[in-house]
Amino acid sequence: MRYPFPVGKSDFIQGDEAVARAAILAGCRFYAGYPITPASEIFEAMALYMPLVDGVSIQMEDEIASIAAIIGASWAGAKAMTATSGPGFSLMQENLGYAIMTETPIVVVNMMRGGPSTGQPTFPAQGDIMQAIWGTHGDHMLIVLSPSTVQEAFDFTIRAFNLAEKYRTPVVLLGDAELAHMRERVYIPNPDEIEITYRKLPRNEEEAKLPFGDPHGDGVPPMPIFGKGYRTYVTGLTHDEHGRPRTVEPEVHQRLISRIFRKILDHRDEIISYETFELDDAEIAIISTGIVSRSAIRAVKILRERGVKAGLLKLHTIWPFDFEVIEELAERVRKIYVPEMNMGQLYHLVREGANGKADVELIAKIGGEVHTPMEIAERVVG
Amino acid sequence: MQIRFAGIGGQGVVLAGVILGEAAAIEGLNVVQTQDYSSASRGGHSIADVIISKEPIYDVMVTKADVLVALHQLGYDTVKDSLKEDGLLIIDTDLVKPDRDYIGAPFTRIAEETTGLALTVNMVALGYLVAKTGVVKKENVEKAIRRRVPKGTEEINLRAFNVGYEEGSK
Repeated sequence: MRYPFPVGKSDFIQGDEAVARAAILAGCRFYAGYPITPASEIFEAMALYMPLVDGVSIQMEDEIASIAAIIGASWAGAKAMTATSGPGFSLMQENLGYAIMTETPIVVVNMMRGGPSTGQPTFPAQGDIMQAIWGTHGDHMLIVLSPSTVQEAFDFTIRAFNLAEKYRTPVVLLGDAELAHMRERVYIPNPDEIEITYRKLPRNEEEAKLPFGDPHGDGVPPMPIFGKGYRTYVTGLTHDEHGRPRTVEPEVHQRLISRIFRKILDHRDEIISYETFELDDAEIAIISTGIVSRSAIRAVKILRERGVKAGLLKLHTIWPFDFEVIEELAERVRKIYVPEMNMGQLYHLVREGANGKADVELIAKIGGEVHTPMEIAERVVG
Repeated sequence: MQIRFAGIGGQGVVLAGVILGEAAAIEGLNVVQTQDYSSASRGGHSIADVIISKEPIYDVMVTKADVLVALHQLGYDTVKDSLKEDGLLIIDTDLVKPDRDYIGAPFTRIAEETTGLALTVNMVALGYLVAKTGVVKKENVEKAIRRRVPKGTEEINLRAFNVGYEEGSK
């Protein structure tokens, strides 16, 4: 297989471009989208690359149609992705729920910009954290990843596809305008250096008849491919193991939704990932995700130089959320600071995790600029 | 090293930053390049930041610039406070009236005289910067120019870069 970009070497590229290249290497062969700042460069790259790898890139009439198209493509057997920003992400919410309910592996990228509404198109924000988790209606479970460097944008995109395929679920990659347009040196691996996961297919007719069952006991049913010989019913209505609508029996709904939660929560340890800096002897903890983590690392260095025992917990997976790790941390630090580019979202999750065992303080910043390391350090020193 | 380019839309400020960043990446250095521009495609302020280091880089934008390259008064006025007190200010001497010590040359005029195109001003200024600071090797910038400028414009951009480099070597 020849790739339309150099592999096995470093390149100097934007976050958006890194997402596109990673998707191609992860096996994505269907992209549908609608242009929007600051995610348009993902679409541009996909439009360029897809024809060269026998894939499809298509511009739809809007973001509702874009996510609908990738859900269809996924059921036809393709790894599929769309990318957008706040206003488009809002439009995608209903079909994001449809993808959760029909257990369709898709990757949805949201490069966050200032909102609400059309807000600040060219400026970064983290105002969609709660929306990424709870934006669609109804009880649901999905996976949300949050990169802070262009290399992580690349690595987490590959991970997003692997998790989507493994757990038959939508995965949201939550970046921001700064990361989308930032250029950094990134290592683009050879295909044989990366692990790629593919969805489970039915092994026999018996399994194929249970596209929403649990034949393997791991909560993840094998997924049949449209046009490959089986008859499958796919619906957003509450359905039984065969996919048939069963909307009036409480136990059918309980069984389905519980399994959709269980298939992700039972594998929390594998899905959740984070990084720590100087946390072992820390008395002050900073907890951050995404682009702000860069400034938080620098803030920790500044604070250590001043003799403050500070450390950082940098969250890579923000849903499912690791409440336990926060509580353990809260038990051994004096105070937790949460810098984020919104009026307080991750903060509420951290407070729930801390469970009253440490004081949690929000360092909110909006308007389009990432916190400077000094802004974080000065709040900690007081 | 933190380097900031400041001008107005249409001067190729971002491309100058990208090419400098690419040259640093070719040398194996860590580099982050970001930009800040208003929504107007021409006429609004345009800022490109390049941070180059042997160490990992956590900053996302220039906080205290070691070098500020100002190609237009509007860009200069927008970000002049971000230049360190002992930082180096490089200006287009026809278009920027600074309120501190500076070096520079009439980059836009030189561009017009050399290539007939004012829009190669970014390459002239980049050449001048590279000659004055030695932040990256000249041949790596030339490599980056060949990779990044629109096809068919490589020679004209290289010529502008080299004229700027000579001006900076004087």
